Amino acid sequence: MKQSLIFIILLFCIQCGKDLSPFGGEPEVNTLKPRLKPEWPNPTWKVVSPESVGVSSDKLKLVEEYAFTRTGDETDRKGRRTDSLVILRNGKLIYEKYARNFSEDKVHLTWSVSKSILQTMYGIAVKQGLVKLDDPGYYHYEPLSRDEAHKKITIRHLLNMSSGLAAEEGYESGPLKSSVIAMLYTRGRKDMGSFCAGLPIRSEPGTQVYYSSCDTNILSAILKKVYGAEEYDKLPFEKIFKPLGITNVTFERDGSGTYVGSSYLYMTAKDLAKIGYLYLNDGIWNGERLLPEGWVQFTRTPAPGYKSTPYSEDLAEDNYTAHWYANTGVPERGIHEPWPDAPKDTFAGLGHWGQMLYVIPSLDLIIVRFGDDREKAFIKNDFLKLVKESVIR
Amino acid sequence: MKRKISVILSLLFLFILFWAQWNWKHLSSFPSIISSFYSKEYCSCYFVMELSEEQCHDFARQWVPISEFKLDKENKSVTVKGLGRTNTTKYLSKEYGCTLATD
Repeated sequence: MKQSLIFIILLFCIQCGKDLSPFGGEPEVNTLKPRLKPEWPNPTWKVVSPESVGVSSDKLKLVEEYAFTRTGDETDRKGRRTDSLVILRNGKLIYEKYARNFSEDKVHLTWSVSKSILQTMYGIAVKQGLVKLDDPGYYHYEPLSRDEAHKKITIRHLLNMSSGLAAEEGYESGPLKSSVIAMLYTRGRKDMGSFCAGLPIRSEPGTQVYYSSCDTNILSAILKKVYGAEEYDKLPFEKIFKPLGITNVTFERDGSGTYVGSSYLYMTAKDLAKIGYLYLNDGIWNGERLLPEGWVQFTRTPAPGYKSTPYSEDLAEDNYTAHWYANTGVPERGIHEPWPDAPKDTFAGLGHWGQMLYVIPSLDLIIVRFGDDREKAFIKNDFLKLVKESVIR
Repeated sequence: MKRKISVILSLLFLFILFWAQWNWKHLSSFPSIISSFYSKEYCSCYFVMELSEEQCHDFARQWVPISEFKLDKENKSVTVKGLGRTNTTKYLSKEYGCTLATD
């Protein structure tokens, strides 16, 4: 009894030391400056020496060492297991390496980086005037009209991961009740959008950020209704991949033919870098505006729902924006930058088991890293620190 | 003492029964996860990412072992049995990759 009392008091004291309060105002997101001389990869990237664009080759070796040195047991899939690493500066390729039987021509599963490209599809749809960010989802997609609470969910809420739907985004940690596993592999696989729209509401839409693959697949199902099945099938290929010169790509669908926007896009590292380059250039490709004005600003701004999301330790792990991640922190909610040693304007598309697309406007850098990390051995901040330190001017 | 144990055991049994009923929709679909995950991720690994059979087994392997596995290269499908459930994934095309078959 005495022992447990001491334990409780100790636990209380440990909690007392933590500052759980907000420490500043709103996150700072400056508008991207227009780039003066963007270089378009036609059909592929121009290769130059790192030094010619102000990057140290010697320092890049440390980046390579970090990424490609196996630190764990391969059969148990432990440690850092990098498959591809591509780095671009000033629109030119300065580093490219592959491992574990991957090569420049092989596509790699991007897992949740797919979400960030699904968001690109929304940019296109908004620019075409087919959807508005504040449209309630049910305007376009009937399963969201099941009751008044579901009718409040807008496209913006879904893009901000703030639908309020009671999803459980656990993979290996809690497979039994995980709605993402049920969605991908069992009860939801036939029609993921309708499975997800059927989840009950946990909080007022727009008020709380909760990362959920369900939000993405509802968005994907909405787009199918907006465009019609035939046009929707061609949408990513015709409107995104073709203009960017991406031909080697696979986008898998669920049992009803809806793109699994949450998880199943396959691309090569250099092609994914093109998506990063589109965002680095504020949605303009080869002089043509593909994404609406303000879209990249929306992409880099932390989800407004953070203001009222109850504080938890997990919140500090990411600054979710609109299907991308930012490095701004959310000071008004007590959330620091997730990668303190990377520039504050870094933004990213990130996926399960170590898939990463980083865009760093202030350093004019794009980094794509693919891997198969089954444990948290690849520390994003350590890796980004090394990349940042390789820049000499 | 014996009576005490049997009361505790019956209470435990009742608790499990209630818990199982409460979570039935999760429990009933759970066994299918092993074979559906394995067949879907193996199919994409082999036909989309074009990695070797050995590497794809490593990619799709989970902590619960599977009991049967069939890679049909001609029809481009992968069938897996695990925890008593069988699931098949089919490769459709370069654009659309693999999709789990649904009944």
